[in-house]
Amino acid sequence: MLILKAVSLKPLHGYGVLLRIRQISGNALDIPQGSLYPALYRLETQGLIVAEWGQSENGRRAKYYTVTADGRKRLREETAGWNRLAAAIAAALDTTPDEV
Amino acid sequence: MLKRTAVILRALFGRRRFEESLTDELRFHIEEYTDDLVRGGMPRDEAERRARIEFGGVETIREDCREARGLRLFDELQQDVRYGLRVLRKSPSFTGTAVATLAICLGANLTIFAVVDTILLRPLPFPAPDRLVRVYNTYPKADVPDDGASVTNYYERRGRIAAFSALALCREGTAIVGDPGSVEREPVMRVTADFFSMLGVTPAVGRSFTEQELDPDSARVAILTDGFWRQRFDRDPAIVGRTVRVDGVERTVVGVLPSSFRFLSSKARLFLPLASAPSDRGPQNRHSGSSSQMIARLGPGVTIDAAQAELDAHSAAMEAGSPTAKMIADAGFRSLVMPLHAEHVAAVRPVLLFVQAGAICLLLVGGVNLVNLLLIRATARAREMAIRQAIGGGRARIVRQVIVETMLLSLAGGLPGIAFGVVGLRLLDSLGVATLPLGAQVAFDVRLAVLGVAFAGVVGLAMTIPVAWYSLRGSTQPVLSSESRASTSSRGVQRLRHGFLVAQVALAFALLFAAGLLALSLRRVESIAPGFRPANVLTGEISLTVRAYPDTAARRAFVSRLLTDLDGRPGIAASGIATNVPFSGRNIKSATAVAGYVPAPGESIRGHYARGVGGRYFEAMGFTLIEGRFLDPAEIQRGERVAVVDEDFARHYWPRASALGHRIFPGPNVGTAREAFTIVGVVSAAKQTGLIDRESTGTVFYPYSSVFDTELFVLARTTMAPERLASTLRDALRAIDPSLGIGNVQSMDTRIADSLVTRRSPAVLAAFFSAVALVLTAIGIYGVVGYAVAARRREIALRIALGATPGRMRRTFVSMSTRLVGAGSLLGLGAAWVAGRAMQAILYGVPPMHLPILVATGLLVAAISIGACLIPAVRAARVSPTELLS
Repeated sequence: MLILKAVSLKPLHGYGVLLRIRQISGNALDIPQGSLYPALYRLETQGLIVAEWGQSENGRRAKYYTVTADGRKRLREETAGWNRLAAAIAAALDTTPDEV
Repeated sequence: MLKRTAVILRALFGRRRFEESLTDELRFHIEEYTDDLVRGGMPRDEAERRARIEFGGVETIREDCREARGLRLFDELQQDVRYGLRVLRKSPSFTGTAVATLAICLGANLTIFAVVDTILLRPLPFPAPDRLVRVYNTYPKADVPDDGASVTNYYERRGRIAAFSALALCREGTAIVGDPGSVEREPVMRVTADFFSMLGVTPAVGRSFTEQELDPDSARVAILTDGFWRQRFDRDPAIVGRTVRVDGVERTVVGVLPSSFRFLSSKARLFLPLASAPSDRGPQNRHSGSSSQMIARLGPGVTIDAAQAELDAHSAAMEAGSPTAKMIADAGFRSLVMPLHAEHVAAVRPVLLFVQAGAICLLLVGGVNLVNLLLIRATARAREMAIRQAIGGGRARIVRQVIVETMLLSLAGGLPGIAFGVVGLRLLDSLGVATLPLGAQVAFDVRLAVLGVAFAGVVGLAMTIPVAWYSLRGSTQPVLSSESRASTSSRGVQRLRHGFLVAQVALAFALLFAAGLLALSLRRVESIAPGFRPANVLTGEISLTVRAYPDTAARRAFVSRLLTDLDGRPGIAASGIATNVPFSGRNIKSATAVAGYVPAPGESIRGHYARGVGGRYFEAMGFTLIEGRFLDPAEIQRGERVAVVDEDFARHYWPRASALGHRIFPGPNVGTAREAFTIVGVVSAAKQTGLIDRESTGTVFYPYSSVFDTELFVLARTTMAPERLASTLRDALRAIDPSLGIGNVQSMDTRIADSLVTRRSPAVLAAFFSAVALVLTAIGIYGVVGYAVAARRREIALRIALGATPGRMRRTFVSMSTRLVGAGSLLGLGAAWVAGRAMQAILYGVPPMHLPILVATGLLVAAISIGACLIPAVRAARVSPTELLS
């Protein structure tokens, strides 16, 4: 979900995804570097993102990932799902003894 | 899903690109990170090291990425295939045997299935073909089971029977086609106007016949088949309106049929209107069907039974008040509705099913044999499998390995199997498949090849099951320990192997027995005397046109010139003509009235074969004179009213007296004295339709001019091989009338042999199948006993060292295989009994349990089995204790 979110903002290469996730989560989430790639490949196989070779900011050849229409849809669904879950848990945690 | 497959496929086929791109991507990541670390103030060396450590194991990640892409399965499969190929290459004799076995067994099945499919399974090439029926008249009590349907039937039934949405009549025949000088005798079919629309066929060019064209005065039209159009008119697109000369009459082409058009087994190349004068459509002709066939299409939702009931009611209504009603009823008349396709192939159905069963039996023998060989190999590799399991090889992976190996094997056998099937169909051609109903359409096509590959796959998978079961069975520990001591393999596997061997022997036994029954039945049929001497008789068929030979005088002149010419040619001892010959495939019977014969109450008049003959017909055909005399060529030419009958006819009407001098009348009624034919001779009874005809109802021979037909058979008794005189026959005819063609020039021996196709071919095929099955069984026995010997070498050596004689060791293994073969034969006996009973329909004069054949089968199986087990048994006796135990 985070990867989808990251590439949905702007096409990114693998390393960029890592940095972007770190950035948008305010350095709170740090994925182990190696495990990022299998995840990217899985998403690509599922057709949620597509990859394309391009030039990086410092002139190197890099593989850029872009989210597809399916990927956006999945992101929306998962975001909605997550929000529901988070709201439910938050509500549960907010419960005070009088409300029981 | 589709996108996903595309991604995987791209990765699979662009494998190198995938790997390179993965490498680049990971390297890029590490370099970027390093740069970032350097930018953060870290020394370059330290940064590179940190980047690598934090990134993790590159190879592990790569593997994970591949798996994420779904590639691992393919990688492993590729490994399995490569390994399997290596294993198969390492044991060429096993692989060779297996591939050859599969190729022969699959090829035989494909070949036979091609025939079964074309003849029995594939629907006729018309829309809703299962709605098509044949309607025919039967007179069982007059011994006329199938008399076609008459023109009168057609006009009386058309539009009056609601059960039939369409109804048509057709009649096969031949015609002289072409302009003088380049004529050819072509098969033609005369059809009513609704014939093609009833079938659901529209001409590719032009139109079909109109109702008006069924009138003899306006019937000068023709419809061509695609083949005729191509060969005679070079596919002229402006064909409609051109003319074609048929029997000397110009006809206008009105249409061309689609190239796919085929009506049952008809070879007709030209379709003409089945024209009849309105006066011939009356009740007097209702029961003169014979050569025409009625085909109908059932209305939507109508069953055959419902149609039959309606037809019965209609027949009864038509017959009510008719002067011949009683006679027809006595003859047991009924008009039957039968499914067109099933009825057309009914005669060959049991034979084809039997041959297919035989082929499947052969495949089972081959399959079981292979499974046994595979099991033996698996046993030899049990250690390998156990070790693989012990060091963590997944069970699924091991099963997959087994599947891959077996599939490789079966595909390797499947491809030559398809080639073998193609060759097999060629061979079948020489066995006369084309003469079967629909048999001319048998051909090998892509569909069959695909089926062959699929079938090979299924067989391969089926063979996998026992082998995979064995490879996984039980825990690994005992296998490791037991095999390391090289003792006998576990009882379960041994029992399985032996069970398969027993089954194989049983199947081979049954096949061999069935082949024996068929061969004996064929011999019995072939030894039946046909009632005349068929050797050295040449026959040919000609068609006289009514236009060129309009009256009796012209026809007599023609026959007289032809026979005089033939008799004068060297190599010809006697010549004659006849309106039909035995084994011609035309078996029309007609009623004959006998003066003074009083039938028993309810006894029907009977149908007899009536032949018009001329020249020295009886001498030429080789009939034996029983009583009286043959017809004299001169009195035939004069058209005297005399006749010869055969023994069957004479015995039926005058069981205790001579037939000579009695008077008979062609047709159902006794006429005036002037119309009578006087019997002057009785000849031997000849088989007419086939050697196993039940006692025939008798034949009457009239002078040809009295029962003339434009279709004539010319026959000659020759003093040399009859085929060598075929050109003489053609020359003689051409000299007299170049506009006449002669067709089907065949010796009587050939005609008889052709009538036995459905007996000879299955016998030949069964012999082939059982021979292969026996060889396979021998291989199977050799393999199983050979394995037992190899596995117990140590034990044998020990026993010999302890004093057992080599002879005793040999006996141990011979008796082991004798027990197995004995059990197999016993089981085979049961199977043979079942086979014998099931085959009764296609056997002649052979009981289901023919003892001599049974004994011979047993002996042959025993001899081959003992031969096969002797080789490894002798090897057992030669085991040298010093070599093995030291």
